[in-house]
Amino acid sequence: MTAPVLPSRYRVAGRHDETHDTVTLDLRPVDQPIPVCQPGQFTMLYAFGIGEVPVSVSGTGPDAELAQTVRAVGAVTRALCAAGPGRLLGVRGPYGTHWDVASAAGGDLLIVAGGIGLAPLRGALVTALRHRDRHRRIVVLIGARTPAELVFARELAQWRRAGAEVEVTVDRPTDGWTGHVGVVTQLLGRADLDPAHTTALICGPEVMMRLTARDLLALGIPAHRIRISLERNMRCGVAECGHCQLGPLLLCRDGPVVSYEVAAPLLAIREL
Amino acid sequence: MTGPGTGVSQPSAGAGAELGGHAFLRGLPDSYLAVLAGTCRPTAVREGYRFFTEGDTASLFWLIRSGQVALDLDSPGRSLIVETLGKGDLLGLSWLVPPYEWQFGAVAVQDTTAFELDAAAVRAACDADPGLGYALLRRAMSAASSRLRAARIRMLDLYAAAGGPQDAP
Amino acid sequence: MNDAIRPGSTRLLAAAALDPLFTSLHGAGYTIIGPTVRDGAIVLDEVAAPSDLPFGWGVQLEPGGYRLRRRSDTAAFGHSAGPQSWKQFLHPPREKLWSARLADGTFEIGADQDEAPPRLAFFGVRPCDLRAIEIQDQVLGGGHGNSRYAARREGILIVAVNCTEPGETCFCASMGTGPQAGPGYDLALTELVTGDRHEFLVDVGTPAGASVLAGVPHTPASGTTLDGARTAVAGAAQRMGRSMPAAGLHELMAGSHDAARWNDVASRCLTCGNCTLACPTCFCTSVEDVTDLSGDHAERWQHWASCFDLDFSYLHGGPVRASEPSRYRQWLTHKLGTWHDQFGSSGCVGCGRCIVWCPVGIDITEEVAALQAEAQQRESGSTP
Repeated sequence: MTAPVLPSRYRVAGRHDETHDTVTLDLRPVDQPIPVCQPGQFTMLYAFGIGEVPVSVSGTGPDAELAQTVRAVGAVTRALCAAGPGRLLGVRGPYGTHWDVASAAGGDLLIVAGGIGLAPLRGALVTALRHRDRHRRIVVLIGARTPAELVFARELAQWRRAGAEVEVTVDRPTDGWTGHVGVVTQLLGRADLDPAHTTALICGPEVMMRLTARDLLALGIPAHRIRISLERNMRCGVAECGHCQLGPLLLCRDGPVVSYEVAAPLLAIREL
Repeated sequence: MTGPGTGVSQPSAGAGAELGGHAFLRGLPDSYLAVLAGTCRPTAVREGYRFFTEGDTASLFWLIRSGQVALDLDSPGRSLIVETLGKGDLLGLSWLVPPYEWQFGAVAVQDTTAFELDAAAVRAACDADPGLGYALLRRAMSAASSRLRAARIRMLDLYAAAGGPQDAP
Repeated sequence: MNDAIRPGSTRLLAAAALDPLFTSLHGAGYTIIGPTVRDGAIVLDEVAAPSDLPFGWGVQLEPGGYRLRRRSDTAAFGHSAGPQSWKQFLHPPREKLWSARLADGTFEIGADQDEAPPRLAFFGVRPCDLRAIEIQDQVLGGGHGNSRYAARREGILIVAVNCTEPGETCFCASMGTGPQAGPGYDLALTELVTGDRHEFLVDVGTPAGASVLAGVPHTPASGTTLDGARTAVAGAAQRMGRSMPAAGLHELMAGSHDAARWNDVASRCLTCGNCTLACPTCFCTSVEDVTDLSGDHAERWQHWASCFDLDFSYLHGGPVRASEPSRYRQWLTHKLGTWHDQFGSSGCVGCGRCIVWCPVGIDITEEVAALQAEAQQRESGSTP
């Protein structure tokens, strides 16, 4: 009798509190590691006895390490966010489509992140910076709620040193903030983009992705070179439970990364 | 560097063409650009320079060419930043709307260059030529609409954790 | 009787030969599942002997209505659209996926399933249901997920039954799934009841079917009998009470997102999900993680779910599909439309169960006709 899909055990080797409710867990395999994860893909993370949630992979390491960034918003994610070093978690995956950073080679890579949307994009940025000469400009525009809720804040300097142009804007500044204040789309006009040679990767709340994509289209970037990361209720991750449907797409298999050319008509339908 | 607010316009040859390169005035006919060039001069300021304070008369306005300007409101013990503007943005909307008083303050948070225009002169030129007035109002409306959209989106607080998630509480 | 029975052969069985057929199946290690009368309906359950089959029982079907009735003959397969389909055996309503044990700061996960699944013979699979099994094979049988489905499916022997009498709510002919069984059966019966004669024409589909038939008394089928059987089945195709448009359902569904009809059907629909329970291809599931009181032992269970449930599409604080029209639209456009995009075929087999078992009698053939009319009006520019 062949086995069902069982989670692999991973140990929490380290954790970083990105914000008051968001944690990046550094996971090392205990059992056979899952296959190599591409930026944009996700795993199903299991907290013993509580449940599983889909979490984007925010980074990978040379020895099958996984970095996954989780926001505490419910029972499972609260348990994951409370996991300290040594704790065992279950991991299934990787599932889904990836950002396909390689396809942006030879041109400009634009990364637009809203809130925790930076987590699924981080892997794409790190990959692009690792092969810096494959791209012309690498422009990263980040929107955060407040300066304290900026994830991966500690890495921005390193990204800039590696050759990325990074601009951060906040919805609400706190005292001492000297950066941009406004929504992330307000940074697009100031970025001097070259639409004919730009591939854009967008991740954040669905409204933010729609508005950003629309502004990018208005600037002349074609829909097939704009990619977004979609989210729906996910249970199995293997295209068998039916929950993650968005029209013809099964997001665990045909997403989460979807070209805006495909996504735009679907997002326009209410309650799809 | 020349400071603003001296009230003396120094039109220069080619100023119209330079103005036409600014994102806010993109597509404006040359004849209108020439009129505006007559009320306009380039300016550059240091970080920390205050363009105007809430309540002041809006006698000038600016088209930002580089740098970053923060719109702010004063409050006892703290300064509140409403929004930051940068390259390509119009700085100042209240010069178009009576009683022509600034609703917010504006301060350079980086060294900033801009075109500075005389509000009263521009309004007079628009009264004299409604075509120019309409062209400018449409562009100002577009900027205002864009900022209103952004402000509404910020109010929605989309990055906040939504109550109750996929994994049931 | 000595010429080899092989795939493609046809033989004739007397009704009395069902006993040796059952014996042959039991002898080969199969547990036989077939229709049987219980609780005022014809349900699928283990049938120990041919006498458990619903000889002489028929059904009276209408939207939102199902009644057993006595037939004037003794046909065993003169009925359709029972409340269940074969999916309950291949894709159980509740199933434990795995269990995990917490000990010494670590936990172990195990599949817990050492026993081989029972060898089942599905006896009396209608052509629509045979196609439904094939559709679920496509959704659940392949790939990296459900090897449990594949393991259960592997051992199944299918004895199909061609239909000679469509039920009032059937529309398999227009969906291309019946009344003649398509490939995929091990044996296919066509029941012939006239006066005193009660016989079964048997088409052999596979070597497994041939081997089961080998020890069972049979005769060759005469040309007349053969023709009569084929004609009866073909005739059933002409007598369907309902139909779906032959082509264009995928496009119709894709173009109907804003149709006014959704509000109309939703005003009747209770979102009870009966249709998804009765439908032989609906496959959606949810999982549940449970622990015992000590918290040391955890289990993950999978159970049937319905897209009509409000929490099916729950995301960030609320369901994506909150309104009734959106949920009905999801079900129908998936079944008839996006199923093609996702799995390469239609999800509907024309069995009519959703029509029968809908408490308010919603008829998808009627809904599709209305959507089509609305689409045509939209195209021609006239106001509906």
